[in-house]
Amino acid sequence: MNASGIKLGLGFYTALFIVFLYGPLAILAVLSFQIGPEGGPQFPIIEWSTYWYKHLFGLTPPSRIAPLPIEQALVRSLALAVMTMIVSTVLGVTAAQAFRKKFRGSGVVFYLIVLGMMVPGVLVGLGMALVANTLGIDRHWWGTAFVLHVVYTFPFAFLVMLAIFNRFDPSVEEAAWSLGVTPARTFRKVTFPLIFPGVLSAMLFAFTLSYDEFSRTLFASGRDLTLPLAIYGTFSVEVHPNVFAFGVLTTLFSFALLGTYAVLMGLSVRRAKRVAIQEEA
Amino acid sequence: MPSLAAFARPADCEAFREKSGPELVGTEVTSVLQLKNVHKAFSGVPALAGVDAALSENSYVSLLGPSGSGKTTLLRVIAGFDQPDGGEILFAGKRIDSIPPHERGIGFVFQNFALFPHLSVAQNIAFGLSNRAVDPVTDTKIVAAKVRDMIGLVGLSGLEDRAVTQISGGQKQRVALARTLVTEPSMVLLDEPLGALDANLRTRMRGELRTIRERCGVTFLHVTGSETEALAMGDTVLVLDRGRIAQSADAGTLYSRPASADVARFLNCYNIFPGAVSGDAFESPVGRLALGGTRLTSGKQAYAIRYDRVAIRPRDAAAAGDEVRIEASFVASEYSGAAINSFFTLDDGRVFEVETHLSHAAPEAFEEKARYALVWKREDALVFD
Repeated sequence: MNASGIKLGLGFYTALFIVFLYGPLAILAVLSFQIGPEGGPQFPIIEWSTYWYKHLFGLTPPSRIAPLPIEQALVRSLALAVMTMIVSTVLGVTAAQAFRKKFRGSGVVFYLIVLGMMVPGVLVGLGMALVANTLGIDRHWWGTAFVLHVVYTFPFAFLVMLAIFNRFDPSVEEAAWSLGVTPARTFRKVTFPLIFPGVLSAMLFAFTLSYDEFSRTLFASGRDLTLPLAIYGTFSVEVHPNVFAFGVLTTLFSFALLGTYAVLMGLSVRRAKRVAIQEEA
Repeated sequence: MPSLAAFARPADCEAFREKSGPELVGTEVTSVLQLKNVHKAFSGVPALAGVDAALSENSYVSLLGPSGSGKTTLLRVIAGFDQPDGGEILFAGKRIDSIPPHERGIGFVFQNFALFPHLSVAQNIAFGLSNRAVDPVTDTKIVAAKVRDMIGLVGLSGLEDRAVTQISGGQKQRVALARTLVTEPSMVLLDEPLGALDANLRTRMRGELRTIRERCGVTFLHVTGSETEALAMGDTVLVLDRGRIAQSADAGTLYSRPASADVARFLNCYNIFPGAVSGDAFESPVGRLALGGTRLTSGKQAYAIRYDRVAIRPRDAAAAGDEVRIEASFVASEYSGAAINSFFTLDDGRVFEVETHLSHAAPEAFEEKARYALVWKREDALVFD
């Protein structure tokens, strides 16, 4: 096969990839504009409308279709994701910092940390429920589920930071020490600004993984549901396009998050590569 | 780029020195740094095998060593980045081998400069002043004034607000130096500071490093693998060989009186023969070489003759009474502007080098594989025994 053939093949593959990635989302988005309340979650579109978006916010006259019971769940999930993000990122950065030097048992500790993202979620969730029962601990999204979210997302943050530190030149820290600056201040003033893009990535990982985590939360969250559980709950009765409308809004929220990430990243990169005002001397 | 003339007045650096902290008050000690039997091994392989040295105050010391001789390790141990396995390090009369790097007050200039990439030129230079644990300068005006003076001293005026990723290698070198000097250390360690620069810039920075050091009155310990750099820069040259100081001398003494055959070999200007003294001659693989030159005591016997002390003569030319003569076949020559280096193979396969300065004579054309007589005065040779 010649070069242009390979290009064509790869192009086709990429196109296919994008179709399968965004196809389901596009169908959801289209169906969310179905007329309500009589229109269902299937083609054809009887008439275009924003009924289901209004329904989501309780702006439609009462009908036989109950509003989506997600308001509380959304707040819970966001709070849980933020908590998880903060704790996992702090743990990930500090653990990766510890791993910059070889210490006794570092190999074992490494695999113990990474195990958190490898073990099947349902089993861990179920196990946590059993442990909580045995010890007489109440299961809550902010308790048992939160711990599992951290166990799950911490390895991702850790691995991201490990890769960042791998490429980090330790001589800039040594330079700061030799100027009389304490290691703690050096970390704050030199190391942290330089690893900040990595920290942002770790935060993004932790947030998104926690926000739509399902299997671990299923058994561990107790009575109050998180968003993925609440949405799943509505499926078991009857699916209406209001779920799709919500899906579209969530996706937009995710894009907004990614956009913020990109802007912050861009700013921190630009700060590093400030455009020269003067010509070379 | 500014020349030496563009540097700030010497008074600028005097001002820096006024406040410098741990001076040697009321002691007789003239050495700012003393190393006593410093040891360091990496997973069983010794890098430093008992280093003893004393560096005098306000001097330029170069540390010459081939790669793998432990010179970077020694520097890192002095700075505190690596811990020695044994021995003592005294700085300004105080043991420092167990205190962390940021409390030692020793500056360090890295080969790759290790500038803070997220800060501008001025911010890099101000970093130590405003962030150090001991006596930080909190008044931004004082910081700015000191930074401005230092920028003038190293010749970086006009580049204050540039990102350090946007300046040339020589400018980075100056920032690295300025960043260290502005904190007024009594000693600065430089790890192959010119290694990352191109040849032209390297020559110019040599002169500037010496000038800057003299203005600030600090001790520089400059590590290099280049014998010309070590000889050109150092008031004192330390030669590090297999983790030990093989010689400590001024450049002239080192060049004309290397302490051992190994040191002579690093200097890259001696032909060296192994062998042993027997009677009035030195038994070498190429024959008996009559004695008459300087005898030096060193662990290993060897006979050394400098490249530029050898004359090349036709094979049939006779040697005078005070001369030593060997025969060899010509291989090739290398022209380097002011001198020409000719390479010969001796009868035992050894390569013999002769340096002829072209100010004395026009280059001769030698015939490849032809035999020539190589002649030198007995008294020019160094004999180690």
